[in-house]
Amino acid sequence: MTLPGPFLPGFWRSPLRGPWLTAALGCLLLVLVAVVAVTGFLSHAAYEPDLGHNAIVDPGADLPLVFDWPTRPTFLYAVTQGLHVNVGLVAIPFLLAKLWSVIPRLFAWPPVVSPAQAIERLSLALLVGGAVFEFVTGVMNIQYWYAFGFNFVVAHYYGAIVFVAALAVHVTVKTPVALRAFRERGVWRPLRDDLAHTRPEPGDEHGGLVAPAPSEPTITRRGLLATVFAGSAALLLANAGETIGGPLRRVAILAPRRQVIGSGPNDFQVNKSAVAAGVTAAMIGAGYRLTLRGGPREVTLSREQLLALPQRAARLPIACVEGWTTTQEWTGVPLADLARQAGVARPRGAFVRSLQPRGVLNQVTLNAGQVADPDALLALRVNGADLSPDHGFPARIIVPDLPGVHNTKWVAAIDFGAPS
Amino acid sequence: MSARLREAYGASPLHLLAHLAALALSAFALLQILGTRTATTIVVWLVASAVLHDLVLLPFYGALDRLAMRAAGRAINYVRVPALISGLLLLVFYPAISGKGNGAFHGVSGLDYEGYVARWLLASAALFVLSGAVYLLRGSRS
Repeated sequence: MTLPGPFLPGFWRSPLRGPWLTAALGCLLLVLVAVVAVTGFLSHAAYEPDLGHNAIVDPGADLPLVFDWPTRPTFLYAVTQGLHVNVGLVAIPFLLAKLWSVIPRLFAWPPVVSPAQAIERLSLALLVGGAVFEFVTGVMNIQYWYAFGFNFVVAHYYGAIVFVAALAVHVTVKTPVALRAFRERGVWRPLRDDLAHTRPEPGDEHGGLVAPAPSEPTITRRGLLATVFAGSAALLLANAGETIGGPLRRVAILAPRRQVIGSGPNDFQVNKSAVAAGVTAAMIGAGYRLTLRGGPREVTLSREQLLALPQRAARLPIACVEGWTTTQEWTGVPLADLARQAGVARPRGAFVRSLQPRGVLNQVTLNAGQVADPDALLALRVNGADLSPDHGFPARIIVPDLPGVHNTKWVAAIDFGAPS
Repeated sequence: MSARLREAYGASPLHLLAHLAALALSAFALLQILGTRTATTIVVWLVASAVLHDLVLLPFYGALDRLAMRAAGRAINYVRVPALISGLLLLVFYPAISGKGNGAFHGVSGLDYEGYVARWLLASAALFVLSGAVYLLRGSRS
C-alpha cells in the first residue's frame, strides 16, 4: 500500500517546524487563550444565571462557577468583555500559526501505536475542534451572522468547556516537552538566527515535527513570529475602537459597531431598536405607568411622577457581550429609592419586566448588591435629554457592570420582592 | 504494577488520569449539547471546524504560498506578509465585509454595514504599498 503525500515523512518541508517553534507559539497562545477563557466564564457569571429567568444555559446542567457579580469598579464588565472579544481576535493568528506548526502530526503514520497515544489523539481532536469552533462562532456572533442555526450562548458555553478541558490536559502533557525544547535550544536564541543560520531544529526523533527533508528557508523564525504579531495587531487595530471609543472608533475600520450615528444626546449605539423589539408608540405614550411590586401593595407611577422624585446622575458604560462599549451620562431614580416607594426596605433583588412583548431578554433579575448600588438607576434621561424610544423611553435600567442587554429598556414593572 | 501499566498503556498512569478527567468533563459538556434541540447541528459544526481548518484552509493557504513563491522568488516575504494580513482581515471580518451579517444587524439596530468592502480593499492596498516601499528602500541600500 502506498500512502498519499501528507502521510509520507518527506511531504512536510518547512525548515522552521520543530519543538522550539511549537513551544514558543504554544506559550504565547496559552496566555491569550487563558485571558479569553477566564473573561468568558466571568461573562457567564455576570449574567447571574442563578437568578430568576436570567439563565440561557439550563442551570440544572451548569457548572457551579456562578457568584454575585459586583457593581464596582463601574468599568469592570466593559473591561472583561472588551478583553474577551479583542484578545480573542488577537489570538486567532497565533492559533492558526500553532496549528500550522503541528500539522505533520495529524498525518503521523501509523496513526496509533499505543493506547496512550489513542486517548491523546482523541483529546487533541476535541482540542482542535473545540478551539476552531469557539473562534468561528464567536467571530460570527459579534457580526450578527447567525448562519449556524443553534443557540449561540449554549453552544459557545459548552464548546468552551470542551475546549478548556482538552487544553488543560494538553498543557499538562506538553509542558515537559516545551521545557525541554527551551532548555536545549534556549528560550530566545532561535530568534537571533538570520536567514543564513535558520536551520531545522536538531534531534526530534519522537516529535515528528522537524522535516526530515527540509527545503531552503525563506523566512526566519523571528520573521514568522513578527508576522503573526503583525496580523494580531492589525486585527486589534481594526476592532478595538468599538470597545475603547473616542477617536479610535474611526480607526477601527472593520469593527461591527464602528458607526458614528450623530452628535445628539441620543446618538449612540442601539443594541435593539424599539421597532425590532415590537415596542409601539401607544405602549410608551401618555398612558404609560410603571408598576412597582413586592411591598404591601402595588404602586403605579407615571413618567411625570418619576421625574418629580429625587434624580441622580451617573456616567456609566453600556458594555455589550459582543465587545462594544458606549459610555453616557444617565439621569434617573435610584433603584433603591424605588424599592422604598414600593414599601420594600431591604430588597433581596429585583425582577424587571419590559414592555417588549417577545424575546428572552425582555426581563432581568438583579441581585441585592445591584439594586442597592447608588448608581443603579431607572434612567429617564441621557446626556441631558429625554431618552429616545430606541434607548428605552419612557424609562430604562442602567446598573454599573451589568452586561449590556440586562439594562432592560421600556421598563413596565419592577418587583422588589423577587427571590434572589 | 506501575511499570506493567506503563508498558501496556504507553505512558505514565498520570497521563491516563489526566486524559480521563478531561474526557469526562468534555463528555459532560457534549451530553448537555446532545440534550438541545439543535444537537446535530452543533456536533456537525464542531467536527467541521477541525476538518475544514486542517483539510481545507491550511492546504489552501499553503498552495497559495507556493504559488506566490514561484512568482516572487527571493522577494516572497514582501508579498507574503501583506497578503497574509489582508487575508486575515478578510477571514475574521468576512460577515461584515461580505454583508452576510447585515440582515440581522439591520434588523436589531436599523444600521447597515456600509463601506466595509471598500475599507478592507483600501487597507489591503495600503499594506501592499507599504511593503513595496520597504522593498525599494532595502533594495536601494544593498
